[in-house]
Amino acid sequence: MARREPAWRVTAREIESSLEEERGTGERPVSYLLSPFGARMNRAIVAGTLTPAEPVGREDPPTFWRARLSDPTGAIAITAGGFQPKAMAQLRVAREPRPAIVVGKVHLYRGRDGVAYLSLRAESVRSVAEHDERAILADIVRQSLDRLDLVERLEKEPNVADQVLTREGVPSAWIRAARESLRRYPTVDRAAFRRELASAVRRVAGESGPVAPPEGSPSRVTITRAPPPAPPAPPPSAAEREEEAVFLSLLDEIAEVSIDGYADLKEVMSRLEAQGVVAGRAETVLNRLEEGGVVEEPIVGKLRRA
Amino acid sequence: MAAGREGAHVVAVEPPGPAERRLASLHAGTEPVEVVGRVVTLERREVTRRSDGTRRPLLSGLLSDGTATVRFTWWDPPREGVERGTVLRAVGAEVREFRGRPELTFTWRTRVGPASAAELPNVRGEELPSRSLAELKGPDEGFRVDVRVVRVAPRSVTVGQEQRVVHEGLLADRSATIQFSSWSDFGLVPGEAIRIAGGYVRRFRQRPQLVLDERSTILRIEGADLPEPAAVLRSPPVSVAQVEDAGGGASVAVEGIVVGLLPPSGVVYRCPTCRRTVKGGICRVHGQVEGQPDLRARLVLDDGTGALTINAGREATERLWGVTLADARARLRDLPDPSVLEEQLLESVLGRRLRVRGAGSQDDFGVTIEPESIETIDVDLETTAAELAARLARGS
Repeated sequence: MARREPAWRVTAREIESSLEEERGTGERPVSYLLSPFGARMNRAIVAGTLTPAEPVGREDPPTFWRARLSDPTGAIAITAGGFQPKAMAQLRVAREPRPAIVVGKVHLYRGRDGVAYLSLRAESVRSVAEHDERAILADIVRQSLDRLDLVERLEKEPNVADQVLTREGVPSAWIRAARESLRRYPTVDRAAFRRELASAVRRVAGESGPVAPPEGSPSRVTITRAPPPAPPAPPPSAAEREEEAVFLSLLDEIAEVSIDGYADLKEVMSRLEAQGVVAGRAETVLNRLEEGGVVEEPIVGKLRRA
Repeated sequence: MAAGREGAHVVAVEPPGPAERRLASLHAGTEPVEVVGRVVTLERREVTRRSDGTRRPLLSGLLSDGTATVRFTWWDPPREGVERGTVLRAVGAEVREFRGRPELTFTWRTRVGPASAAELPNVRGEELPSRSLAELKGPDEGFRVDVRVVRVAPRSVTVGQEQRVVHEGLLADRSATIQFSSWSDFGLVPGEAIRIAGGYVRRFRQRPQLVLDERSTILRIEGADLPEPAAVLRSPPVSVAQVEDAGGGASVAVEGIVVGLLPPSGVVYRCPTCRRTVKGGICRVHGQVEGQPDLRARLVLDDGTGALTINAGREATERLWGVTLADARARLRDLPDPSVLEEQLLESVLGRRLRVRGAGSQDDFGVTIEPESIETIDVDLETTAAELAARLARGS
């Protein structure tokens, strides 16, 4: 039985600090963003000040919108496109920054040069009274502390059995997330994160007002922690170059006639398979092109030339 | 559980005959036994012998004496005289075990004859093994439970051509709660403690349900260690993950935030006969009907550990939304697109903190709760902030 992915209560800082993911496989793949503080999230809920949305891309009329949500710990990009029409409409109504809560799917996009773009693809957006925003923030802080406590406990007692924890009422998904956090982020500064949460508590208490929206560019995070060093890729062979050329020309062809200017990933893949030119290797070729910074996937399932 | 069952085999308190055994006390590998039981189901077959290809008649089915139901196999049975409901006495029956459960085999050495219902063991609660409600998961019988009646109400149902009254409600012990339905009127009253013997468990809508009928016995007991109805109905909420792990529950309480709305929500039309939602004026069961308008909200409630669906009915939806069915229908007349109404409903409930109590069942899409109560929780920010600040001060 498939369970609905819960909305992890997270601060903007926790999302921004998440640089590891777990890509799902199979027919309906589910991907998770792994945070250093014990979240393994597909869906998240955030609360804070939401800026008016700006259109993204060159299409007219625009089909993709981006706003920013700031809480006392940081800021996160909130996006919505044609696949989330209701959320998109909600993003577009505001003219002024407003207190809001957003439920959506977390998304990590790695650009070239080790820059990670984190965003929350909105499923539901709601303008709320400040009291309600602070109430949700309280829930976020409480669960962030619960998860931190769990991560720190597992760091001290790595051998404690899962059953011991579940008997205490700890959800097994949290245990898995906490263990994964420790494995992926062995040296993270959790004390600093606790200090960030303190500013969120002041907001809950009403000691600080609404967070002013940040100036400037959308949230981008430069990966400073080096990912596991990958062996340098050997230069592509002539055959590989040939595959890439086939892939790219098909991508251009599809993008040319598509409404939004992107090439649909599924269409590219199915047509490549049908042509048999790179049968069974389409995925490999795409990965190579993405790694090489030739092709990017700014929206899940949508490809374009970088 | 198996050990508990064995330990509770005090069946031989008053053995009616030296060799006669209760079905609940059968073990494989013992000497041939004498049993009395009623045929619950039976099936006649023929088995082809491998050695000479001749056909050998076989009767098999289930035999029950009120303490347990066991499968029996009867080689070369009489051609007639054995039907559903026949009480049999078998002397020299062999006990075998199949998949951990005892089975009876009547061979040429076994003497099987008719018996009267009076010869069936008079099952008293004391003779049956005691169980806790948490142990009652799947089909089961031959046990007794000590429980508190949390609530009970009669309901009239049509069984075939007959109109019958079934008494339904909720029972609780320290370990769990269970829904029950009784086909006999035992005069149960909420709050009383009872010992039930001779009931059976079936699964109904993915939940275990205890069924009582005329074979069941009820004994009023003191029940000092059983929870009071109020305590059951006001138990603190548990995490959604726990409810998901348990696959629901007869009476569960959860607290979380509304993060979404599932279709159909808003104004729906129901079949006047069966209350199913009607699509395009067609009921799945009753065909073309005049749908009656109703209001509902299928809320997605999420507490950060999991998410489940709350099927809020008209009264709860009106209260949460602040819009009555009449208001909603009036709005529908002005709205070109009915999904706008659903969006307005979502807008008013998204992010609301609710405490919900009700019966939860599980299907392929997760757990759904049919709520008995939905409470809006207003967070006291000052207290909460102080508590969080104290936690932070301790932690760092």
